[in-house]
Amino acid sequence: MSTIDREATGPEDLQKLHDDLSEVWGNPKGLKALTIVNHTTLGLRFMVTGMAFFLIGGILAMLIRTQIATPDQNFMTPEIYSQVTTMHGTVMMFLFAIPILEGLAIYMIPKMIGARDLVCPRLTALGYWCYLFGGIILSFSMVLEMAPDSGWFMYTPLSSSEYSPGLGSDFWLLGITFVEISALSAGVELVVSILRTRTQGMALHKMPLFAWYILAMALMIVVGFPPLILGSILLELERAVGMPFFDIAGGGDPVLWQHLFWLFGHPEVYIIFLPAAGIVATIIPVFAGRPIVGYGWVVFAITVMGFISFGLWVHHMFTVGIPQLAQAFFSAASMLVAIPTGIQIFAWLATLWLGKPKMKLPMLWIIGFLVIFVCGGLTGVMLALVPFNWQVHDTHFVVAHMHYVLVGGMLFPLMAGIYYWLPLFSGRMPSETIGKWGFWLVFIGFNVTFLIMHWTGLLGMPRRVYTYDTGFGWDIFNLISSIGGFVMSAGFAMVLIDIALHFRYGKPAKTNPWNADTLEWANQLPPSPYNFVSLPPIETRHPLWEHPELPREMQEGRHGLATASHGRRELWGTDPLTGKVREIIHVPSNSWWPLFAAMALAVVCISLLLRWYPVAGVGVVIAIGFLLRWSWENGAHPKAAPDAKVMPGDPPLHSRTMDGPGLWAMTTAMIANGSFFLSYLFGWFYLWTVSPEWRMPDASPLSLVALVVAGIALLGGSALMESSVRRLRKQLDKGLAMRLYGAALLGGLQFVLILWVMWNANLAVTETSHDAILMVGLYYALLHSALGAVISLLQGMRVGYRYVGAHAPFEPVVVAYFWRYNVVVFWILIAALAVLPRVIGG
Amino acid sequence: MRERYLYHVASPCIQRVALRRVNRLILLLTMLVLAGCAGDRSILDPAGQAARDVALVWWVMLTFFTVVFIGVIALWLYAFKRKHHEHTAAQERKIARRWIIGGGILLPVFSVSALLMFGIPAGKRMLPLPLSEPPEVIEVIGHQWWWEVRYPGAAGGEVVTSNQLIMPAGEPVDFHVTSADVIHAFWIPRLGGKVDMLPGRVNVIRLEADEPGIFDAQCAEFCGTQHAHMDLYVEAVGREEFEAWLADRQGERLAELAVANDEFSQARETFVSTCAACHSVAGLSTATIGPDLSDIGARPMLGGGVLPMEEGAIQYWLENHQTLKPSNKMPSINYMDTATLESLGAWLETLTP
Repeated sequence: MSTIDREATGPEDLQKLHDDLSEVWGNPKGLKALTIVNHTTLGLRFMVTGMAFFLIGGILAMLIRTQIATPDQNFMTPEIYSQVTTMHGTVMMFLFAIPILEGLAIYMIPKMIGARDLVCPRLTALGYWCYLFGGIILSFSMVLEMAPDSGWFMYTPLSSSEYSPGLGSDFWLLGITFVEISALSAGVELVVSILRTRTQGMALHKMPLFAWYILAMALMIVVGFPPLILGSILLELERAVGMPFFDIAGGGDPVLWQHLFWLFGHPEVYIIFLPAAGIVATIIPVFAGRPIVGYGWVVFAITVMGFISFGLWVHHMFTVGIPQLAQAFFSAASMLVAIPTGIQIFAWLATLWLGKPKMKLPMLWIIGFLVIFVCGGLTGVMLALVPFNWQVHDTHFVVAHMHYVLVGGMLFPLMAGIYYWLPLFSGRMPSETIGKWGFWLVFIGFNVTFLIMHWTGLLGMPRRVYTYDTGFGWDIFNLISSIGGFVMSAGFAMVLIDIALHFRYGKPAKTNPWNADTLEWANQLPPSPYNFVSLPPIETRHPLWEHPELPREMQEGRHGLATASHGRRELWGTDPLTGKVREIIHVPSNSWWPLFAAMALAVVCISLLLRWYPVAGVGVVIAIGFLLRWSWENGAHPKAAPDAKVMPGDPPLHSRTMDGPGLWAMTTAMIANGSFFLSYLFGWFYLWTVSPEWRMPDASPLSLVALVVAGIALLGGSALMESSVRRLRKQLDKGLAMRLYGAALLGGLQFVLILWVMWNANLAVTETSHDAILMVGLYYALLHSALGAVISLLQGMRVGYRYVGAHAPFEPVVVAYFWRYNVVVFWILIAALAVLPRVIGG
Repeated sequence: MRERYLYHVASPCIQRVALRRVNRLILLLTMLVLAGCAGDRSILDPAGQAARDVALVWWVMLTFFTVVFIGVIALWLYAFKRKHHEHTAAQERKIARRWIIGGGILLPVFSVSALLMFGIPAGKRMLPLPLSEPPEVIEVIGHQWWWEVRYPGAAGGEVVTSNQLIMPAGEPVDFHVTSADVIHAFWIPRLGGKVDMLPGRVNVIRLEADEPGIFDAQCAEFCGTQHAHMDLYVEAVGREEFEAWLADRQGERLAELAVANDEFSQARETFVSTCAACHSVAGLSTATIGPDLSDIGARPMLGGGVLPMEEGAIQYWLENHQTLKPSNKMPSINYMDTATLESLGAWLETLTP
């Protein structure tokens, strides 16, 4: 194994090594640039696109502040104002905050953990295109003056077809769901990359804190986004087809939407905060010139925060009229978040206290973060107190609090991070003077806008009013807020000009310009597409402090995987805990499939919007076709890794093992899927027990016999998959194809039986929420049975092509995992939908 | 535009409103220091026990958290300026633990416990727990974009009105709130907290006004285009006055009132042929799509807070309501001639029980 440093090679060999790596990893130019899957390029694309949406969201904010600067304004009509406020929130949350932080993580994580790319590069590309297309579709609604206008939280019934008859809500529901594909794909691959591709020796406790923060964020995305995706699908089905999930008269309940929305929406606040806190925890030690104090404490705080954040969502709903006990629980839980936050703030303080802090531009933004975020955190604790919440909920006090938390907790650290990592992006240093001006304008402008807004709220001004009358004492404060808003905009303009100018006029940066400790600074400035010529073994948390020569050694190819003549893009596959090298992961190179698949999905999105269902159907088929074609180029396929030769002493390729990253990606994806499924079960039981007009038929319309037979077929298919895997483990692949085809056949049988149950049940899906939600569960099962059958069928075919077999046993292992998930979920579904109603009754 | 909110004249805050116009700066400073009455919707100018509790909670929290805030920021800034000392690893660990446990765990635990000890009793007093004497019940139903108010317990039969809420002062009142369409929220800032008005559900909130007076209310949950124009006029009056007010609005009294004046028979016909499809006036129609108009002449404002009630105001509304309150659900009736609208307005103004 190449844990031993290679001998320094001669300059010619080194040149050849660079040429080989550039050949394998290089980015194509021209139209082919659309095929790039590299994390550096895509991370930058994410961030630049995010910045563009930030400008759009910022302009919308200025429109809002202009309209309510003075009472009785006619700057905008009420209709346009509702669209502008809705889009401001939507753009800032979904198209700026989350994607730009994902982009930063996509860019930074492989560099920080000593890898050459993320583990699923084509997924990165798919995520980017979905984000771009979804964002464009959503923004285009503003050009058409058809933008969503029922608030960024889309509370139904206001967002229902009855009260929002236009296309606005559809733009939101479909566009956001499309954009969320990108969040989920980034979530999945960041989890797997952090756990499985850290460089040799980087045990979990030696990982940079930033990676811990991103790991938590990514896991939270994986668990937190599915409830909203489910909610959006249900609401869109209600709007388009008339299935009454949220309609009281049909036995639905509008509060279910609020639960699903905030089940996502509250974790989302932490999904935004955690990566930003990761930036803070990265920058402070560098400028304090010492390691972070209380590494273990901070990791503990991150973990606690991740868990607590899923138990807080009801604090957005204190005025809905939920039971007192639940309110008390959620109130206390909301206040408890102060503990992990406090631990982090004081760990950072202790780091400064014990270090020799230097006040550079990034640190200025960190101080700005502290002032604003602590203030926002304290008003947050106030808001968690239910009686106070009842008074200020939905007033400008909450608007002020939320901006203190989000701008303080996300935007200020992000700006600190951008300035800090600027030399990496451009190879040049930022200027201190213009940057300082920008900071002070933003900082002062922000506080002038929002500090005073707490007061406006206490004086009783509600949120989201397009006009107000004079005489309540609100006038002068609104005017001050608006002036502050424009000062802040001027500050951001200055920051953007500063950053733009620095690309041309900035001083060229030397290697590791801030004297940082983490591996991203071992890159050339700016980095090459393969990041590192060789991947080093790591013994400490601060590799560059303890081995200042490491960047040079890495560039000279003295460490691991310093070869590319085999034409593969390779990184280490390491043990998730210890960081011991286990296999070589080969990742796919540039490909059109992600772009094509995203374009097909965009067609689906647009045709659903226009209610052209046949076109949408065709689009779905084409998209699935592209995705399957994409999955075909894997394992021993000629475009992936047809031969399995590795350097003497190196571990095997992951496609030749039984535990590659794909398995981890499948598991993570199934966590997301499981979260979606649990949200569905929550919806089913919620409507059953809480919905005021719920109607349960006396006899269950679902044929239990047919469902149980379908469940047995599924078990049979899964058993065949398991036995295939067991035999592959013993290097046996005789009869493998037949087993896989057999599983596909049983999956097909399950599919037909579910279809029969659906047909036979005669569900009146537009009449009652009971029938509607039942139908959704059946469709979920139907889709999974089809997917299981199809991927097993393809595996059988791949055995025929010799892409899969005893020599390359990996893929059936992954597919078998999907079948396991399917079995568990399907039997739970039978129990919840068909057995329980028979036992308990309506 | 006409001077709006004529009814503010009756407000105890009027002098301060006038003063504010004279010298805003001084008032701004004064208010920041004293934060007394600052308009009719300020939660810091409580007029009932629930709101007073919350206002007190706010001031205590503000004081305490200001100290915490300044303390944390000062520590950070001091950490920057502090002279650097060399410590051994063991000393460093000790210092670090002191900060993290002291600031990260003890400080929040102490603050949160203090807050809960202080806040929970305040919250408890607001709950609609059973009373020895059942309180007056008033039903409030939110519509896009107006308020329906019902008094099921009125002696002699249920009383219905719109966009105005008259309540007895000096005693607890239970508000049973719900919605006829989208989600709204019921909130009288000076009396206490808000509660959402959900279709298909009834939420109960108990409020009490210390003394007779006028309190503003405004829908607090975004409910669509005209969310900004969904004001509710709230007045607390003495028990006797309250009973008398209800008695004046008994169905037969209102029905008599509607037909009392022969001069307006033409206007009544117009009403029955056109307006009655949506509006009810006792004795003439029973539609419930738009606000009940049986006592409209006695209401202090029109259109959910768009116009103050004065002579000719109803006619002005009828002519211009789609400009005054764009997208409101009442179709434009500009096709009617001025004379018809004038007499319709004049008749409606006579509906003052």
